[in-house]
Amino acid sequence: MDIILQSIEVVFNPLTLSLIVIGTLFGIICGSLPGLSSSMAIILCLPFTYSMDPIPAIVLLVTVYLGGATGGSISAILLKTPGTPEAIATTFDGYPMAQNGMAGKALGLAVTASAFGAIFSAFIMLLAAPLLASAALSFQSAEYFGLGLIGLGCITSIGARNQMKAILAVLIGLMISTIGIDSINGMERFSFGQPFLLNGINYISVMIGAFAIAEVYKNIERYYQRDTNLRTKGKISMTLMKFSDMAKMWDTFLKGSILGTLIGIIPAAGGSIASLIAYGEASGRHKDEKPSFGDGNPRGIIAPESSNNAAIGGSMVPTMVLGIPGSPVAAVIMASFLIIGLTPGPLLIREQPILLNAIFLAMIASALLLFIGGRFVTSQFAHILKLPYPLLGTFIVALGLVGAYSLNNSFYDVFVMFIFSLVGYFFDKFNYSTAALILGLILGDLIENSLRRQIIVGEGSLMGFVSRPLALAIIVVAIITFIWPAISKLLNSKGS
Amino acid sequence: MAIEVIFNIILGLFIVFYLYQAMQLPNIDDTVDILGASGFPQIIGVLALMVLLFITINTIKENKSVQLSLFNLKLPEGRLLLVNICLLASYIVLLSILGFAVSTTLYLFIAPTSFGYSKWRLLTVFSIVGALVLVSVFGSVFYVPLPRGIGLFRELSYLVY
Repeated sequence: MDIILQSIEVVFNPLTLSLIVIGTLFGIICGSLPGLSSSMAIILCLPFTYSMDPIPAIVLLVTVYLGGATGGSISAILLKTPGTPEAIATTFDGYPMAQNGMAGKALGLAVTASAFGAIFSAFIMLLAAPLLASAALSFQSAEYFGLGLIGLGCITSIGARNQMKAILAVLIGLMISTIGIDSINGMERFSFGQPFLLNGINYISVMIGAFAIAEVYKNIERYYQRDTNLRTKGKISMTLMKFSDMAKMWDTFLKGSILGTLIGIIPAAGGSIASLIAYGEASGRHKDEKPSFGDGNPRGIIAPESSNNAAIGGSMVPTMVLGIPGSPVAAVIMASFLIIGLTPGPLLIREQPILLNAIFLAMIASALLLFIGGRFVTSQFAHILKLPYPLLGTFIVALGLVGAYSLNNSFYDVFVMFIFSLVGYFFDKFNYSTAALILGLILGDLIENSLRRQIIVGEGSLMGFVSRPLALAIIVVAIITFIWPAISKLLNSKGS
Repeated sequence: MAIEVIFNIILGLFIVFYLYQAMQLPNIDDTVDILGASGFPQIIGVLALMVLLFITINTIKENKSVQLSLFNLKLPEGRLLLVNICLLASYIVLLSILGFAVSTTLYLFIAPTSFGYSKWRLLTVFSIVGALVLVSVFGSVFYVPLPRGIGLFRELSYLVY
């Protein structure tokens, strides 16, 4: 109790509070700009922390992380361009909602879910951090493989219009993910001697091309039919969710947050995988709801947003308690621990008992600030959206281009964006799911590498996938996610 | 239907090429990594071919027509789309010659005119302010080393970012 009181004193002093405000706002702004990831925002803040005390410094970085994860949803909803990888799944239903004139509601859902996820994970972490951290270490390749399969289960909902085409799109995404150096044995694959292909194809530039630029092409086609201003109808301002509406969808809030927290704890999984899995779970469970998933279902925003923010709290647990980063961004924060003079690991919690509590209290304060910061950034984006389409469309293209370039400061990513803008256009015309393509591309590495690692660990045997109870349970859930739509269709047809 | 079948054939060629390349990957004699670097690509390649075959048969059976305005230049939207794709391609090429600031200003000015947009004063302000915002945010605030172009453009860019 004494420690909690001391933590409150440290967090709620004027300096730390102002750092929470600055960090959250800066994170939201960076997150909302395509190409500027949360890790980049944290790195930019790092020099300011050198002369700070450890707690304010870490609090600043964690709130930037939290703000960034939420900011990504703003451009995902308004421009169909996820600002951060964590916001990919938010695009699936957020953008259709915005197109239907409900941009404000979609933004409100995203911010409310983000705040809920962050607060939920903060409380869980406060209560059970060391216990959960050691449990996360039991995750091995077989379990990661199962997680990847559950993520792929999303295609049963996002490709609802044509399942076979969605499966082909996901397979093409998996094929693209194999380009580059094989991380198991270091062999070059499909790089044709080109150095820029050795690191593989960055899914953010694919996404900017296939989602944002392809959407501009689609709107250009419709320009003469004058229906390109759908999203700018009315005033765009964030509409907060009513408590009664939240209560109706409590299960999605809760499941998204639980999944996010748990996946965040697993080393190197991160918020983007958490959000895809939470989306897959929600879309499978509520697939008969109208509007359907992919057409602007509110749960399609709540699930990924609550999980990607909950994953932040989760990812801080192994980072601090075990010294193993829970996500790529947590790895940057871990580096900042070392710069400040703290060594993450079991001793850190013992030597700095206030630090863990202070971080999670700061997360709660930052989550509440998301409402104000989100409203501010949204209002700035709304100005852009009021432009006539010839100006808006060209600005989105220029923003997408600089976003793709900023990823690695490379023209190659811009070229990839351009190619995939055409791929996205044709995919849309022939009813192939672009989202499924991205899904395959993101999860490809995780699925292939964990599959092969488990086989190597099992000395060539596949028994590891069934002999480990946790892995078996996850794989069974994944298989059910895949075949459930077919089974329920069969049952419905028998019933009728 | 025909155009979708052609699209499927292009996809098929891509998958066959991918599979061929996957088969060319050297096999390391490893008794534990039984899949090796080529195993996973081969599995998904074969699966993709099978699914594509199924889709193509269905496409032929359904015989639905798909409108692609990009290939119908008699339509104004087809011409507009093609012009904008070409403008984007030119913008990307010009980035390395004129640098980010100049090529973005030009692109933001020229692309809207392809729509028939003719409020010149607003367009001029939009292209300059738009490019300035992008350069300031990405180039000056976030230190992204934006393309500077060559020759005089390179020298000039140092004055801006």
